This record gives sequence, C-alpha cells and structure tokens, in this order.
Amino acid sequence: MLGRLWSELRYRVRAIVRRGAVERDLDAELAFHLQREADKYVRAGVPRGEAERRARIALGGVERIKDDDRDVRGIGLLEIVTQDLRYAVRSLRLTPGFTLAVIMTLGLGIGATAGIFSVIDRIMFRPPALMHDPATVSRAFMSYELRGERAVDGYFEYRRYLDVQQWTHSFSQMAVYADAKMAVGVGQDAGEMLVGRASANLFSFFDVRPALGRFYSASEDTPPAGALVAVLSYPYWQSRYGGRSDVLGSTIAIGQGAYTIIGVAPEGFAGMDVGETPVAWVPVNAYAGLRNHTYADNYNWGWLATIVRRKPGVSLAAATADISTAYRRSWQAERDMDPTVAPLAVAQPAMALAPTPLGRSPDAGAEGRIPFWVGAVALVTLIVAGANVAGLLLARAFRRRREIALRLALGVGRGRLVGQLLTEGLLLAGAGGLTGLGVGWAVAAGFTRLYGDAAPLGGGLVDARTVIFCAVIALVVGLATGVAPALFGARSDLAAALKAGAREGTYQRSRARTVLVVVQGALSTALLIAAGLFLRSFGNVRAIPLGYDVDHTLVADINLRGMKLSTDEQKTLLRRLTDEAAAMPGVAGATQRVSIPFADFEGTGFTVPGIDSVRRLGPFGLQLVSPGYFRTVGTRILAGRAIDSTDRLGGPLSIVVSAEMAHRLWPGQNALGKCIKMGTDSMPCSTVVGVAENTITRAISHQAEANYYLAAEQVSRPTYGLYVRVLGRAADDVERVRRHLQTLMPGVSYITVEPFSDLVRGAEQSWQIGATMFTALGVLALALAAIGIYSVIAYNVTQRTHEIGVRIALGARVLNLTGLVLRDGLRLGVIGMGIGIALALIASRWLSPLLFDESPRDPVVVLVVAGVLVGVTCLASAIPAARAARVDANEALRAD
Amino acid sequence: MDRLDLPQGTLDLLILKALSLQPQHGWAISERLRQVSRAMVDVPQGSLYPALHRLERRGWISANWGPSDNNRHAKFYELTRAGRKQLGAEVDAWQKLTTAVSLVLEMR
Repeated sequence: MLGRLWSELRYRVRAIVRRGAVERDLDAELAFHLQREADKYVRAGVPRGEAERRARIALGGVERIKDDDRDVRGIGLLEIVTQDLRYAVRSLRLTPGFTLAVIMTLGLGIGATAGIFSVIDRIMFRPPALMHDPATVSRAFMSYELRGERAVDGYFEYRRYLDVQQWTHSFSQMAVYADAKMAVGVGQDAGEMLVGRASANLFSFFDVRPALGRFYSASEDTPPAGALVAVLSYPYWQSRYGGRSDVLGSTIAIGQGAYTIIGVAPEGFAGMDVGETPVAWVPVNAYAGLRNHTYADNYNWGWLATIVRRKPGVSLAAATADISTAYRRSWQAERDMDPTVAPLAVAQPAMALAPTPLGRSPDAGAEGRIPFWVGAVALVTLIVAGANVAGLLLARAFRRRREIALRLALGVGRGRLVGQLLTEGLLLAGAGGLTGLGVGWAVAAGFTRLYGDAAPLGGGLVDARTVIFCAVIALVVGLATGVAPALFGARSDLAAALKAGAREGTYQRSRARTVLVVVQGALSTALLIAAGLFLRSFGNVRAIPLGYDVDHTLVADINLRGMKLSTDEQKTLLRRLTDEAAAMPGVAGATQRVSIPFADFEGTGFTVPGIDSVRRLGPFGLQLVSPGYFRTVGTRILAGRAIDSTDRLGGPLSIVVSAEMAHRLWPGQNALGKCIKMGTDSMPCSTVVGVAENTITRAISHQAEANYYLAAEQVSRPTYGLYVRVLGRAADDVERVRRHLQTLMPGVSYITVEPFSDLVRGAEQSWQIGATMFTALGVLALALAAIGIYSVIAYNVTQRTHEIGVRIALGARVLNLTGLVLRDGLRLGVIGMGIGIALALIASRWLSPLLFDESPRDPVVVLVVAGVLVGVTCLASAIPAARAARVDANEALRAD
Repeated sequence: MDRLDLPQGTLDLLILKALSLQPQHGWAISERLRQVSRAMVDVPQGSLYPALHRLERRGWISANWGPSDNNRHAKFYELTRAGRKQLGAEVDAWQKLTTAVSLVLEMR
C-alpha cells in the first residue's frame, strides 16, 4: 500500500515538475505506435500514405488520447497549486512596479514588527536557553513597606538565601546568581567581560552536561569562601582558547582571583542571561569570599538573584505563601541582629514569584513597558502596510475585472479564481516576509543599540522564532490582503463587467479602497502625534538643567584587581593620575571623584541645631567631593566657596549645600556659617562654607533636590577615580585619555574611561526610545499612507480619463483639473487626519504618564502633524493631478 | 464475427497478463492481445496508452526506453513485483467471477 502511494506520488510529482518531458515522452510513444501500425499495413501491401491514414484512424485522435492521459496523470491539488503559482508569478512579473511596491510595503511592515517582536520575545517571553521545564521555575522577589511605599527588591543577601532555603519546603531546587562585568585576563588582553557568579546548583536547573571537564560542585561553593574554580562558556572557550582541551587545569584571572578552569559549558548555554553569554561561571562563594568573610553571616550585601523550582504538585500560590513565611522569619532574624530594621508589622515583608524572563519581573519598570508600547506601534504600522497592500491588490483586481469576468464566462470555477487571487496574495506576502526578515534584523539591531545595557541582546537577532513569527505574519497578511480582492473579484457582475469598456460608463470610486486609505491616514496621524509628543518630551528632558556639565566631562575609574596598595600608595596614584590628566592638552581640569550622580545615592543622617525633625524636610542627598570638583563638573557656587584643598582631615569640617537645601533648612536666611552636625547631636559642627546651584542627581524632574557636599578627605573616604573636564566633546576624548592614563597604572590594574553623559543618559532613555521608535515608525506609516493615497488618486485619474477628456473638450482649464484631483486627495487625507487626531486624543490618557512636561494634547504637535499630513497628501496627489492636466482630450474620447 | 467490447476494468487485466510473459512496448501489447484473442478482442488503441500510464502510476508496471526489434527507440513496459501480485489477485477474482456467473447462467 505504502509502495503504491509512493509510486503515485513520484509519478505525479514527475508529471508536474517535468511536465514538458512527460508530454514529449507521450508524443514519442504515440509516434512510435503509429509508425509500427503503418508498417504493418505497408507489409500487407497498402501504400505508405494510406497505411499512415489507417494507423491514425485505428489509434483515434492523438489529442484526445493526450487529454485522457493528462487525466490519468491527474490534475491533482498539487498541479492546481503549481498552475496557480505559475500564473501568479507570470502576472506579477507583468507589473514589476506594482509587485515591487507591494513587496517593499509588506517588507517594511512585517520587518518592523518582526524586529520588535524579536526584542520583545527575548525580554518578555523566552525562558533562558536549555532550562529544564521552565514553567515550574520562578524568580523570587522580596517586597516590603519602605517610607510608605511598597518596595520590590530582587537581590538577596547570601544569608537570606540560606534562610529561605532552610525554611521552605515547597521547592525542589533553589539557586542564586549575579552576572556582572568583571576584569578578565591580564596584561594587554585584559578587559571587562560578563562573568556569571552562580551557585553550584544553578547548573542543575538546566538540561546541560559540560562540553569538557565538569561543573563545580556544592562542596566547592560553600561559605566563607568557595574554591577558586571556573567553568568557561563555550563561545569564550572557542574564541579565546581555540577550543583546546588542555585548557583544563590552567588558570584564568577574573576580578581579584586566579581561578582554575575545571570545565567548559555546552554550546548554547548562557546561564540566566538572555542576550550576551558570560565568558565564565564561578562559584558565588568564591567571588564573595574574595571580597569579605562575613557575607554569609549578615544581611548587609544584597546582590543575588534567586531562582526556585517548585516541587511537582505545589501550586504557585502555595509556594508563594511558603516562601513569604520563610522571608518573614528571616526578616525577624535580621531584626534580632540589627534593631534598626523595621519591625514586621511595619515592613510587612512578603515574597513574589515571577516568571524568569527579564521583562516579566515585578521591577522590570520602563524596560518592560516600552517594548510593549513599541510593539503596539509596530503592529499599527503593520496594519497600515496591510491596508496599503490590500488597497493595491483591490485596485489590481478592479483593473482586471474584465479579465476575471472573461475567465468566469469561459467556465473557470469561482473557487479556482479565488484560489488564484489568494495564491497571488500569498506569493506577495511570502516575498514581503523575506524582505521583512532583512528589515527586521536591521530594526532589532538598531533597537538593541538604542537599548544599550538595559537589555543586553547580543548574538543572532534573527532566529527560528523570529522567522516563524515572520512567516505567520506574512501568512495572515497574505490571506487578509488576498481575500479582499478575491471576494471582490468573484462577486463582480459578469455581464456588466464584460459590457463595460475599460473605461466605465460612469466613474465609480472604490469604497473599500477609500476606507483603506482613510484608515492609513488616521493611523499614521496618530503615530506621528505620539512621535511629536515624545520628541517634545525628550527635548524637555534635555532642557532640564542638571547643574553640572555632562557633555564635556569624562569619568575615569581605576580597577586595582586586588593589588594591595597601601592607602598612601593609592592616594599617590590618584594624585598622579589627576595631575597627568589635568596636564593633557585639551583638558580643562581634573579632580578625584567619589560620588557619581544617578549612580550613588547616600544620605547619612544629620541634625541641625534649632530644627526638630530634619527628616521631614528631606530627603537629602550626599555627594562626596574632592577639591576642584565644582570647577571640573561645572556646578556653580552661588555664595561662599567650594570645597577646596584647605578642607583637610582633622581640620575644621566644611559643608557645601545646594540652594534648595539652604532654602529648606533656613528659609529666608543666609546659610553661610550655619552649623550642621553629621550624625547625632553630639558630633562637632560642620560649617556651611558655600551654597551651590541646584543639581539633579536622583530622578529627572523639575523638583529641586536638596543636596550637600562633603570633602571626601574629611570623612576619610578613599577615591576611586577621576572627573576629567575636556574642551571638546567628551565622547571624542575617551580613548585618548584612557590610553594616556593607562600608562600610569601599576601591574595588572587598569583604568576605564567613559563620558559622564553615558551615566546620566540612562535616566533619559525611555523618552529617547519613545521618540526614536514613534518617529521611525510614524514616518514609515506616513510614507505608506502617502503611497496609498497616491495609488488611489492615480487610479481614480485613470478611471476618469474619459470624464476629464470631456471636461477639457468643454473648456476646463488646467488649474480646474488639477484642483479637481487635488481636492480628491485632500478629502481623503483630511478625513484620515481628523480620525487620527481623535484617536490620539483618546489614547492621550495612556500616553500622558510616559511623557515629560508635555500635555498629550499639545496643540503645537497636532498642528505640525496636520500640516505635515496635508503637505504629504498634496505631494502624493500632485503627480496624478499633473497627469490629469496632461490628458489629451482627443485621445481620451476616442479610446475604447 | 462481431468483436467484443471489453467489460469495464478488464483492459488492465489483459495488459498485466500480456506483460507477465515479457516486457513489451505499447504497440506490441495491442498486437499481441489481438492475436491471442484471435481478433475477437479489439483493444481500443486510444485507451491503451492512458491505461498503461495509469498502471505505471500505480506502480504495477514500470517503463523504460530501449531499442525495439527493428532497432528503433521504443518505450517498454515491464511488470513490477507489485504488478505481478496484482495480476495474481485480478486473475483470481476474474476466475471466481466467471465461475460464479456461469453457475448462475446454468441455473435451471
């Protein structure tokens, strides 16, 4: 039976694929038959000519046999499909312009959506690669009341992890990890690379075996210090060690430790990371043990993400309750050690279990929301593209209705006809999908660059899932855009279509197409308005004075990698670095740095004589600075003096306060000379020696922050790096400064330099992404809508050629004619625009929390967008209008 | 003598039988059938080729181009193993049918 099926299939496929050969075969076979039959008659004495005639009669009509034979070969489904495909390809090749327009339109629409999908997929949906049964795995988050708000904290202290592990019973596995950039290697090829610090049991969450050697075991990962062993990642093993197996047993310098390589993780394993693969994994305790030896005894260092696997049959709710109970017990244990910890009744600690993908965690914040917004916008763009393609196909179907009617009259089944139109739609969608893959790759790459470190998404952005997504979208769009014209075509009135000439007796607009164009106009208007709002927000964010000059400042950090320098040696090193940096050409100044705005936030308590509760006036932010700080970063001193070299350890304590802080503590008074006591009332006075302009160090807003500055030296804080002020753009000087300063670094230590602005930009990112994505997609949608309007108007002009001819013959002037066409286009554009503005107003409710200092109904934005839309509509209608003006009355009237 | 019209489906059986002796080309099959049936069965030449291709499609016969007896290029058909089995089954069925039909016709 199977053999017979196989034979049938082979035969039919051959019959279809090699149709020409099969037909020739049959011809030859029949010719041979005729010849033999004729020969037979000749042998019997019949003359050759007569013999051939008799042979032909005996065989019957050759064409009929061929026909019967074709039936045998079967006009199977396969052949119908291939026929339709051939037909579609042929007819699409006849109109290359149309075909290209459709494919590009689809490509852009699908590509934009697919690119954004690939990003969203990674952030929102995809569990870590190779994870075993990810549905039972969750990431644990702690939450508690803090200053009247519910704080979510995803970073466990090691001790907390031990507590929870010990006091829960719902989980079969529990592991902690913390991946971070660390110094890897020594000498010239040392650099900052992603390193996974993972507890030994993390590996058991995955279906993995080492590609080489072994993973580390629990006994190598116990407090107070684990074994210094490392498991390399596969790509790093390949790129750095050429995949050599003798790598086992050698050492790799990571951070401050020299780790022995004991294994290589398998290909594709990236631990808990979604994007970039770490270069190696090391035991949590090995890393922590190098830092201090008490991390497992107290709750001071929260740095570990925790994942748990529920036991079979344990519900998420039960598991959450279980781990929350354990957390409360652990909280109490912490409070027993440190009475300043809030009591249970106040803090109300609880745990939440969230899916592992990054964007689904409760503290995902903007990173989680933005992709959704952008995804929705991309979907809108896709709809615009789809509407455009549907419009183009409709126009095509309309133009072809005579051909279609003719074929219907000739007996082509309507089903078959619909099938053919569908095939055409799908073929176009397929080509569009392929184009879309390319576009998608570019979009995802761009998006990733924009996103920066917020969501590291390295590696192949176009993967199987994206390809499948593209295919599905293409299929849906192909069906949707193919069905509309197909229905239209199959419904068309046979007799009317055949009777009418190519020109209609009466000019009729296609309502469906008009609606499609209006939809496009509306959606692109809405997108452009959103783009405008985000652009203005971004501008507003940028316009906020930070109180320091990030554009001309570099931040340099030194990394000693565990080199033991005495305090004096370190001070000398930093002084030399500062002097060298300041002496470089193009550098305006340099100072040692301690705190960095947006990165460091400290607020040690202080008391002010004469003020009962300073806390109520807070929060107050502390920045530790060195002499020259204010000059270097460009924060102006409004009164008094800056922290300078006279503020020495042991000398009188000095403090500089921001104008806002001075205002809050001593409204209406001169702050200079006032006393602030760091810590409790018994501490000596720190005298206010200066008032600085307000700075933004925590969140970008108009709210002035109360900040104060202490001399790092007076509080015995070591410095870790420099601020360097350059004359040009900071970004241009990064490498020059780094290379020069690196020459001063002793031994394995090294220095990193980055523009100050990079550290602040993170805070502006959400507006930047919003502005970029909405603008890019809005412009794309507008371009598509313009194409849509153009094609409808151009088509209408063609339709009305006869009418226009009559008008010209009756004396219409060029201006009247172009006006006629332009009005047509403008009407569509304006209706779409109106609906779009309404849509934007409706959406403003959800948009406004994402904006900065910007009304979601900003009339300027609406007006500008309206202007752009009218302009583009005029442009799109201008070409057909010009064509209308050129219509030759004679020709138009005689045609058909 | 009137020639017999072939009952539906019997052409396949006759072709399979003719091919069971040796590979043949189309014309030879029709000649052979006519000779053997003493010209009582007139194989409709027009149906022969579609029938051959149907059998080929089903995998009961296979076709190859080769030199004919007068050294011309001809398409030879040959029974496959499946075809041989099919022939057996069809002969069997035919004999049962004719026996049954005769029995019925001899009924008194």
